[in-house]
Amino acid sequence: MRTLSWVYLGAIFTFILLPVVVLVIFSFQDGRLPVPPFKGATLKWYAKILGDRDLMDALVNSMMVAILSSLVAVTLGFLAASGLARAALPGSALMRGLLIAPMTVSYLIIGLGLLQMFNQVGIRPSLLATGIGHVVINLPLCFAILYAAIGEHQKSALQAARDLGAREWQVLWHVAAPMLAPSLAAAFFLSFTFSWDEFIIAFLLTRFDVTLPVEIWSMLRSGLSPATNAVGSLVFLVSVAVVVTLELTLFRKGSK
Amino acid sequence: MTFKRTCAAAALLLGLVPAAQAEELNALIWCDHADPKLLEPFEKAHDVRVNVKEYEGTAAGLTILQQSQPGDWDVMVIDAVDVARAVEQGYLAPLPDGAVSTADYFPQVVLADHNSVDGKTYAVTEKFGYNTLAYNKAKVDPKDMESLASLWSGKYDGRIAIYDYYLPVLGLVGLAEGIDTANLDAAALEKLRDPLMKLKAASKQVSDVVASQTALATGEVDVLIGGGEWLTAVLHSENPDLDWTIPKEGGLLWAQSIGMVEGTQKPELAIEFIKYITSPEGQARLATSSCYWGMPANMAAGDALSEDEKSVLRWSDQTDYLARAQLYPVPDAQTDAAMQDMWTDMLQN
Amino acid sequence: MSIERIEKRQGATLVAPALLWTLIFFVLPFLAMALMSLSHLEGRSVVSGPDLRNYAKIFTEASLLKGIAVSLEITVLVTVISVALAWPLAWIIATRVPVRWRRLALLLAVLPFWTSYVVRSYSWALVLGEKGVVMNALVGLGMLSEPVQIMATRSATVTGFVHFFVMLLTLTIYSNLVQLSPNYARAAEDLGASRWQVIRLVILPLTLPGVVTGAFLTFVLCIGDYITPQILGGNNELTLPQLIMLQLGRRGDYPMASALSLVLMLIVTLAYLACARWLKMERV
Repeated sequence: MRTLSWVYLGAIFTFILLPVVVLVIFSFQDGRLPVPPFKGATLKWYAKILGDRDLMDALVNSMMVAILSSLVAVTLGFLAASGLARAALPGSALMRGLLIAPMTVSYLIIGLGLLQMFNQVGIRPSLLATGIGHVVINLPLCFAILYAAIGEHQKSALQAARDLGAREWQVLWHVAAPMLAPSLAAAFFLSFTFSWDEFIIAFLLTRFDVTLPVEIWSMLRSGLSPATNAVGSLVFLVSVAVVVTLELTLFRKGSK
Repeated sequence: MTFKRTCAAAALLLGLVPAAQAEELNALIWCDHADPKLLEPFEKAHDVRVNVKEYEGTAAGLTILQQSQPGDWDVMVIDAVDVARAVEQGYLAPLPDGAVSTADYFPQVVLADHNSVDGKTYAVTEKFGYNTLAYNKAKVDPKDMESLASLWSGKYDGRIAIYDYYLPVLGLVGLAEGIDTANLDAAALEKLRDPLMKLKAASKQVSDVVASQTALATGEVDVLIGGGEWLTAVLHSENPDLDWTIPKEGGLLWAQSIGMVEGTQKPELAIEFIKYITSPEGQARLATSSCYWGMPANMAAGDALSEDEKSVLRWSDQTDYLARAQLYPVPDAQTDAAMQDMWTDMLQN
Repeated sequence: MSIERIEKRQGATLVAPALLWTLIFFVLPFLAMALMSLSHLEGRSVVSGPDLRNYAKIFTEASLLKGIAVSLEITVLVTVISVALAWPLAWIIATRVPVRWRRLALLLAVLPFWTSYVVRSYSWALVLGEKGVVMNALVGLGMLSEPVQIMATRSATVTGFVHFFVMLLTLTIYSNLVQLSPNYARAAEDLGASRWQVIRLVILPLTLPGVVTGAFLTFVLCIGDYITPQILGGNNELTLPQLIMLQLGRRGDYPMASALSLVLMLIVTLAYLACARWLKMERV
């Protein structure tokens, strides 16, 4: 069983990592097509994309939308989870259901619905519209994670703080937030990842200022090029660097 | 604190709404107009930023306009044959007399009938080319490519890709059946169903520009119906075996026009942009745009193109090609819907 | 005021922002879309209904009906394969890999998460092509006499999907596994269960809620995805999202796109009801 485990691990890691490895290798392709045979290494595609104004704008846009929409989603989710854990509210099950509901709906549908509603009230497609959509898809996730994290133990700690005279915001800020810190961080990172990577809502709800996935999509539609590999590799390497840094600093401390 | 953070986030989110810059030109375009090499000279000369949004298919473009507010858009690129449709729905503004000269144009692509309505000019042709057969001459017999019928002969089964745009490909299937594009009405359309389904059965994939390029360049398919210079030119340096031709049944002529959108707040700038695009320099840059190549409508662009570029574009063969190519079909709304239904059936079969 | 009422008021105040957000940006657009689906496109303009023409068309037109079938088949296939591949991976990482390598192994298992989704599908296109790495290797190693077509088939779409969802499911199942007290397994072993029996009879059932939740998420994300089938499927068959985007991109037919979206949503709702027994979404 031991050997079998390692063989399986090797096989599945190959499967998981293969496309990324191929992607990165052919981002250095010295030729117009990112397919075998490999014709030698060049950095020109990286130079090309780093000099691409639209692409760099899109990168910044994506970062902003992901950070801000995740903050809003985590905040709303945290408040809602605390509220529902605070007291047995009438219709509590219904509220939970409503908050979770967007999770069961495809992004395409959420995007299409928002697009039609924004059209009717005359709101133009924009990054703000996209951000709103991303909060819609991430709020259920944040709420679910945080609501699940508030167990009986946490509830009694919160109750104890209230009994000792803490105001509600103090309870939230000094007791609930630190206690739920790992879950809050998890919710934020998941939201960030989903927003960062989300295509269809951003595609439907942006016009000139687009997010990175939308920009990459239009690159992809306009011709096969190792430049697309270069963008993918760059995003990949930078994100991995961020994750590893976080892993080495934040989480190491967190897990002691 | 949470409240504060929400406020800060809200403020930042609002900051995301792009601040209105002094001068911007909003253009609804196809991907060849997104090339910085094309836009930057204009942006520098007029100190503006050109915002571009790509769209796919006339119906989608017109829907975008319909959902926008007046002034949202300044210029638009559109299929020459669809200009009248846009004018009819009130989306294009007439161009001032003499704003753009077509004196140096290839006469066949001025397309005054299509670009003007009731004697008023609404758009001007800027680029053209052909949807015909593109192929890998190392892998297929170029003689076979002289007839569309070869695609149905069985010899190339599994090596064909179909370009995923219904108008030109239905037009080509029509030509193979001896139906001119101008006569492609609802009744004629039904005759195309069988050959179209057979073509699908014989083909490996139905693909957009990139997937088509990939498949041809990597040798996954050897023939692309609907392809042409716009597909092979960018790959020319990579694989000189990629070629295209107009078979004896004929080919389809695509022509794109540019016009000013009704309601623009910047008519002067819009006209300047159209003038730039149709100028010899603009035309040369558009012809060799990174997304796809195509013949410039303005012959004067010939001076701004290198001999190599001209030979890839097959500049000297244009008279012959233009004589043998037919315009895109111009279906009415009902036939258009029927064509799209048939296309969807083909994809789904 | 009684303490209970204060608690309720405070609770309600805290829930209100999230509820409002969901009502305004989720429920309202949904209603707008439902309304839109009851109108139809005549010629080139929208005729407001209410009528059921679009729905009638969906259930009579072969290409649209088949879109539903194609979407369902692909999604079920992807969900089953992904769970089958992810569970052992999560289990091996949680139990076999030495503790200090665990985080690294987990990080490696989800590494491609961190490149762009669009690029991930695209890189599979490079890998699976006839001239791609896989075919080159298989032919080179003599395992195949000539390349077989994977790209532009359903297999390519499924491969691209499975790749993504294995990562997602590994995370959810892993987090479920590490929460299990080792006492369960120990107790079972003490009672004489073999290792396989422990897995099958104790650990697997205990992870069922996590698996079902992950599988349901997979189902929702997979059936609603446009990119993967569009890039990898070669347009040889169309899924529901592709049909929806076709209505938008080619025809500008918002009513039909809305109607198809509602059908898509109905399917997901049915899937939800089917899993509801195990799904405690608020306790992910």
